[in-house]
Amino acid sequence: MITEQGVKEFLHQGGYIADDAIATAVFLALRMEKPILIEGPPGVGKTGLAKALSASLDFPLVRLQCYEGIDEGKALYDWEYGKQLLYTQLLRTQLDSYLSVSADLREAVERLSSEESLFFSRNFLVQRPILRSFLSEKRSLLLIDEIDRSDDEFEALLLECLSEFQISIPELGVIEATRRPLTILTSNGTRMISDALRRRCLYLYIGYPELDREIAIVRAKFPDLCESLARQMVEFLRKARELNLRKPPSVSETLDWAQVLSILKASQLTPEIVANTVGVIAKHQTDLQKVTDLAVRELG
Amino acid sequence: MERIIARFVGELRDCGIRVSPGESLDAVQALALTGIRGRRSTRQLLRLTLVKNVHDMPVFDAAFNRFFSRFQFPPEGDIPGLMDAAIVSMEGEFSTMNLVESHHDDEEPGPLLKLDSQIDPEDLQELKSLTEIDPDDSDGNEIVVQIKGHRELAKAPRPSRRFVQNPLTIDLSQGLPQERGIVFTAEEQASMQDVVSRMMLRLRKDMKRIKNNQNRGKLHVIKTIQKNYRHDMVPFQVALRRKRREKPRLLVLCDVSFSVSHAARFMLLLLHTLHNQLLDVRSFIFNRQLAEITDLLANLPVNELMRTIDEGDIVDLDENSSYGQVLLDFKKRFLENLRGRPAVIILGDARNNYDEAQDWVLEEIREKSRYMLWLTPEEREIWRRGDCVIDTYGAYCDKVEVVKTVEDLSLVVEDLLLDMYADQAHPLEKKRQREKEAENEQLDYRGYYSRGATVASEPAFDPSGRSHW
Repeated sequence: MITEQGVKEFLHQGGYIADDAIATAVFLALRMEKPILIEGPPGVGKTGLAKALSASLDFPLVRLQCYEGIDEGKALYDWEYGKQLLYTQLLRTQLDSYLSVSADLREAVERLSSEESLFFSRNFLVQRPILRSFLSEKRSLLLIDEIDRSDDEFEALLLECLSEFQISIPELGVIEATRRPLTILTSNGTRMISDALRRRCLYLYIGYPELDREIAIVRAKFPDLCESLARQMVEFLRKARELNLRKPPSVSETLDWAQVLSILKASQLTPEIVANTVGVIAKHQTDLQKVTDLAVRELG
Repeated sequence: MERIIARFVGELRDCGIRVSPGESLDAVQALALTGIRGRRSTRQLLRLTLVKNVHDMPVFDAAFNRFFSRFQFPPEGDIPGLMDAAIVSMEGEFSTMNLVESHHDDEEPGPLLKLDSQIDPEDLQELKSLTEIDPDDSDGNEIVVQIKGHRELAKAPRPSRRFVQNPLTIDLSQGLPQERGIVFTAEEQASMQDVVSRMMLRLRKDMKRIKNNQNRGKLHVIKTIQKNYRHDMVPFQVALRRKRREKPRLLVLCDVSFSVSHAARFMLLLLHTLHNQLLDVRSFIFNRQLAEITDLLANLPVNELMRTIDEGDIVDLDENSSYGQVLLDFKKRFLENLRGRPAVIILGDARNNYDEAQDWVLEEIREKSRYMLWLTPEEREIWRRGDCVIDTYGAYCDKVEVVKTVEDLSLVVEDLLLDMYADQAHPLEKKRQREKEAENEQLDYRGYYSRGATVASEPAFDPSGRSHW
């Protein structure tokens, strides 16, 4: 039986440094079989959490990237029209002989309609991510990424799937999940997500990590980066986040920068190094200047 | 445990956080799974299950600290004992609350002071226990928070929070510290976001329908073939070419003089939020001078803009407002290159300080615009008093509306948007619109502007609990 501490440890082994809130959320999601809705600024490891979980729990990852205009045909299931057509073509001769025994048209229709379900059976069903994760034999991890990019209609469509873990297909009836997947929804908050969806999920907000955790994250990814540099760099980035930048550097930027610094074999931050590598942490022209200024102020 | 959670959920609802029964069930279930192991983890657990919005988190933390300040979380779980202790202490708290309230009924001025000064040993014990709270709790100075909570209990019973019933209303009469200048709190901005996003939701449905009708053009052959591939090229579904559609234009003239500044700032905030989503807005502010702030709205953070306006950098705020001057100025500088028949909204109380009304300019603006709307924050009864020339101006407008809350404002703007979209709509849609108008015309609108003096235009009691400017 997994405990919260256990969650933290196996995430750590998977290279993801979780804090208490994240560990508790994952633990509850595993035990209560409820989806987690993760919000937070971009690049703090929302999708990363799902990937790390999938790797360390050995749940196959089923990922659904949301976009404007996504619909059930792309997310839940679809019928394979081409295959259905092909089969009717191929079976045409078979059908003739099958129907020739019937005396009149009425009987032929009856005979045919008794076989109708053949064409709307699972043979012709294309499994899209959600259905695939529901029918997966192993418990899977369903990642519904950037749900805020989809439209409201799609959100409404998800309600049934997320609360009951079932999908209603008019031709087939209700399909229930064989193993309820561990479901993670992520959102960058570009659009308000409806309360109905929020109610069905555990809500986890991942913000920028605390100093020690961020250092631990850097150290976990780049063990050969020396401790003092990691600390110096994380402290610098934390100050940069307070600069009111258009795109504040996130954890992903921290990691990119750590990689750059370890490639450059830097041993200490200097204004020159920051000026040379500023493109890794600042992503807007106006931000570049602010960050280099900060470097001169803080490190010069 | 269920009882405590239920009460805590009640407390959260009082604070304006919407918690559904399903969520409280989740909380109970989650607590049963992990057990109670300390303050931090319990708070985390409750926050995960009960709070579904980042903005609610500080409120939740405060409520948690207030509610659970009465008993200690033991380092290790002796759950049944803890439950008993908790229930007892909860009962205690509620009885003291009742006592305070009844106390309050008897004598009005005294009780606050008295309660604060009459600290008996039990209270001292309590205060001591407050200091023993988990030191690495990340919320800063908890004791202050809790003492504040304690004081609040001693106050008069809280009026039921408006958020519970009407979460969209922003109280416009409060939180306007004039001397500190106009600054929007995060809360105000968030509620505005809320109002706007709801408005967008409502609008989007209608827009989609109208747009679909608008899109009827010629057959788009390639798209039709692509769409019907699955039907073996039998064109069941037809794709049509889109017609080019432009964003509706809107022109806003906003009076920022002291008498209407509250209304103006919310109007500006609303436009700021709406701009570029649906509309092409040109905004002007005026007092005695007129200035265009479209670019400023687009580029400056809204608080900074408010400060700039407030310091009189754009238009001189010390002058008396003069609508006549402004209209003349507008005609001179902007009317000539007004394009695309915009809808015009003028926000102001039309108090002209006994200047020339120059209402003939409105006539000219009217000719160049699609629709003209005058919004005033004043009640209809006082329109004819003093220097108000709204009767003169109102005659040129399609509509004069009284707006009192942000909700009113958003409804008015929403109606306007729908009108504008419908204006470019398919003939069928237009026909429907005309029929609707014909229906409305059967109502008698004669004497619309003068009637207000005798007939109370606003209901005396507003059950939705809306606030007033």
